[in-house]
Amino acid sequence: MKQYDAIVIGAGILGCMTARSLRRWNISTLLLEKEEDVCRGITRANSAIVYAGYDNKPGSLKAALTVRGNADMEALCEELEVPFSRCGSLLVAYEPEAVPKLEKKLSNGRKNGVPGLKLLSGPEAEAMEPMLKKGVAAALYAPSTGTVNPWLLGIAAYENALQNGAEAILGREVLAIRPCPEGYQVETREEVYQTRMVFNCAGAFADRVQGLAFAPEVKLKLDGAEYLVFDRLAKKPERVIFYQTQSSGKGITAIPCTEGNLLIAGVRKDMTIPYATSPEGLVEMLDRVKELLPETDTGLVIRSFGAVRPNPYRDSGESIPDYVIENPAPGFYSLIGVKTPGLTCAEGLGMLLAQRGAEYLSAEENPDFDPKRRGISEKDNDILCQCEQISRAEILEAIRRGASTVEAVKRRVGSGMGRCQGSRCSGEIARLLEEYGHGSL
Amino acid sequence: MDHYDILIIGGGAAGVSAARAASGRRVLLADRGPALGGVLLQCTHRGFGNNQTGPEYMEHLLRDFPESVELALNTTVLSVSPEKTALLSGREFGRREVSFDHLILAAGCREIPAGALPIGGTRPEGVYTAGQMQALMNLRGYVPEGPAVILGSGDLGLIMAKHLAEAGLEVTLVEKKDSCGGMARNRRCLSEYPIRLLCGDTLAVLHGEKKLSGCTTAKGVYLPCKSLLIAVGLRPEQELIAHLAQPEWLTLCGNCRQVHPMVEAVVQEGKQAGAAVKKAIEVCL
Ligand SMILES: Cc1cc2nc3c(=O)[nH]c(=O)nc-3n(C[C@H](O)[C@H](O)[C@H](O)COP(=O)(O)OP(=O)(O)OC[C@H]3O[C@@H](n4cnc5c(N)ncnc54)[C@H](O)[C@@H]3O)c2cc1C
Ligand SMILES: Cc1cc2nc3c(=O)[nH]c(=O)nc-3n(C[C@H](O)[C@H](O)[C@H](O)COP(=O)(O)OP(=O)(O)OC[C@H]3O[C@@H](n4cnc5c(N)ncnc54)[C@H](O)[C@@H]3O)c2cc1C
Repeated sequence: MKQYDAIVIGAGILGCMTARSLRRWNISTLLLEKEEDVCRGITRANSAIVYAGYDNKPGSLKAALTVRGNADMEALCEELEVPFSRCGSLLVAYEPEAVPKLEKKLSNGRKNGVPGLKLLSGPEAEAMEPMLKKGVAAALYAPSTGTVNPWLLGIAAYENALQNGAEAILGREVLAIRPCPEGYQVETREEVYQTRMVFNCAGAFADRVQGLAFAPEVKLKLDGAEYLVFDRLAKKPERVIFYQTQSSGKGITAIPCTEGNLLIAGVRKDMTIPYATSPEGLVEMLDRVKELLPETDTGLVIRSFGAVRPNPYRDSGESIPDYVIENPAPGFYSLIGVKTPGLTCAEGLGMLLAQRGAEYLSAEENPDFDPKRRGISEKDNDILCQCEQISRAEILEAIRRGASTVEAVKRRVGSGMGRCQGSRCSGEIARLLEEYGHGSL
Repeated sequence: MDHYDILIIGGGAAGVSAARAASGRRVLLADRGPALGGVLLQCTHRGFGNNQTGPEYMEHLLRDFPESVELALNTTVLSVSPEKTALLSGREFGRREVSFDHLILAAGCREIPAGALPIGGTRPEGVYTAGQMQALMNLRGYVPEGPAVILGSGDLGLIMAKHLAEAGLEVTLVEKKDSCGGMARNRRCLSEYPIRLLCGDTLAVLHGEKKLSGCTTAKGVYLPCKSLLIAVGLRPEQELIAHLAQPEWLTLCGNCRQVHPMVEAVVQEGKQAGAAVKKAIEVCL
């Protein structure tokens, strides 16, 4: 039986960041992921926003991690060579009754230490973002808000974890966890592993994974959200725009992505099938976009997708607003219900888990830890994805780094993300994958 | 930087015809593909000219192609500037900037992908555009899994319905309008093969976690399927010049000006574009 100091379950952004952080110490680490690639869960479908931190309750772990995660994001993205844009954000209100809400957020934000917050008048906000529908009552401006590519950040952390000696096995689902004198035995269909510590980062499944060994105090209720992606040519605001209609409580968020596309995040809705969208939802979202950003050409949508949101609650039915690290037994740590802004806090949460683990094992620091990951920068002149102008060399490098499907290549280099959605390049990319020993289409 | 009288972007039926008509001037014809022909090269059906296949028709278009036209194959034009220069990326020669007096854009069109449509459900594997599948089948020998659903019964949808039926797949065509679109000769496949046609309906939801398992129409018909082809229309490929304000040195022809159902019209338009630009240059001399 293979033995490790730590097994991390789930290679979403939290698992990847945790594995990376664990390697800052001499802690032998195995990352297990049930899907064939990393970051295929919640991390693949979210709003990509690096939150400023004015939404969270002063004094909460969430508030502290968000403000710090936001401040540290530049450095992190530089280390991991992932694009990041500190574009700022406006939370806009059109009804005067909503203005007190903005004031409350302003005061929250100030208590949390969010830099540069400012309450703008309607005309000031409209001047800042001329695309906005006229008639803004007030807006909360947060210059520190940013955007990042969520799965790329996760993939980068994953690559850096491996580079620093973590092991990972994809396509391996944890089916059972048995406490034993030395720690835990973690079972998959293929193999059983021995470990001193377990880090449960199983996203939407985290309550069930904890349930494999201990009754979870925190359970998850899943709901969903929907998204639209626009062609890069579509006009977009410069900043993230949060928009909540007072009447229906429904709103949208407009996000200028680091890739240059406009992303629209739709409202929360009940979930029947994970990651599914509804035709009504998509149409409704288009209406909302027209309402908020009237100049938007709604004919320029190139993709839509659904998301899964894990909402934590206790048996009593009470929902849990803050992040909690569950520690049901020595050496067992669970992150259950890390929803927004989990991306912003991912490194912070990963560090917290790793510190707990290092203390538990009295582990020594790893003097060889190298935080630097090299992005994929090899380019040649053979353009395979014409929409995004991605060359063969970049695609081959993604394959060399482990991408085994057209989708995995896409998420590493951006091929097929453009206006034709891969209808012209995926055949050739599939051929290259086959040439390099991965299955077919 | 090399200078050309005319830069032609796209070596399909339109660009090739334009190049022929403009030859005599210094012409550079750039195309991304390894050979001239554009979309014709993937059309193995006999729907062109005199009952020819696309490649046969192209052969005929290329007969006595003027040697004075400089070809840049395997070459993508990355950008065009208002100062009349273009940045080329070629597999063999690398990056290269050229300047020109006239630009003929003959970049063809692209298909509207599933993502652009308000279809709900999951995003499983097995969803293609019709032209994408045409290229996969005809150029790479790929055969998709059946049963198949095709959204859109225009010419391309029909051509692919026939193609899939010939390959032995069970095919259902879903059409929003009340009757089948497309030319009569392409509709013939409906009587020749057991192709199911659902009119006055569209797709609302896709099913399947990893792989497509079926779809549901707006009227609630469930269609089990493993492959879905989207054939709802084509968009002219004009993004390369979107930032330019219709300068007088720019001419569009073929499908990138406007989508044409018949190749003859494309050839005609290419010819006219090439001849007009050549004339404009010669008048100025
Ligand atoms: C709609 C939405 C929008 C959001 N927007 C933002 C935002 O704009 N900014 C922000 O900061 N945060 C945002 N978040 C939060 C952020 O996306 C999440 O907090 C974060 O992605 C969670 O990552 P994760 O690693 O916990 O989950 P996941 O990415 O789901 O990873 C969990 C992994 O565990 C694997 N797994 C599960 N069970 C097992 C098993 N038994 N064995 C092996 N592997 C297993 C899964 O396959 C999965 O890969 C948003 C969240 C949602 C839902
Ligand atoms: C799938 C399909 C089936 C058809 N079937 C028939 C039929 O049966 N009968 C009939 O008469 N007509 C048919 N047609 C119509 C007709 O054949 C086509 O409209 C015609 O061939 C289009 O020619 P084109 O030159 O305008 O475009 P294309 O053939 O698409 O050529 C455009 C070329 O430009 C290149 N290009 C684009 N951008 C760049 C760039 N930035 N840099 C370099 N190169 C670039 C492309 O790679 C391509 O080679 C069909 C059309 C399609 C799409």
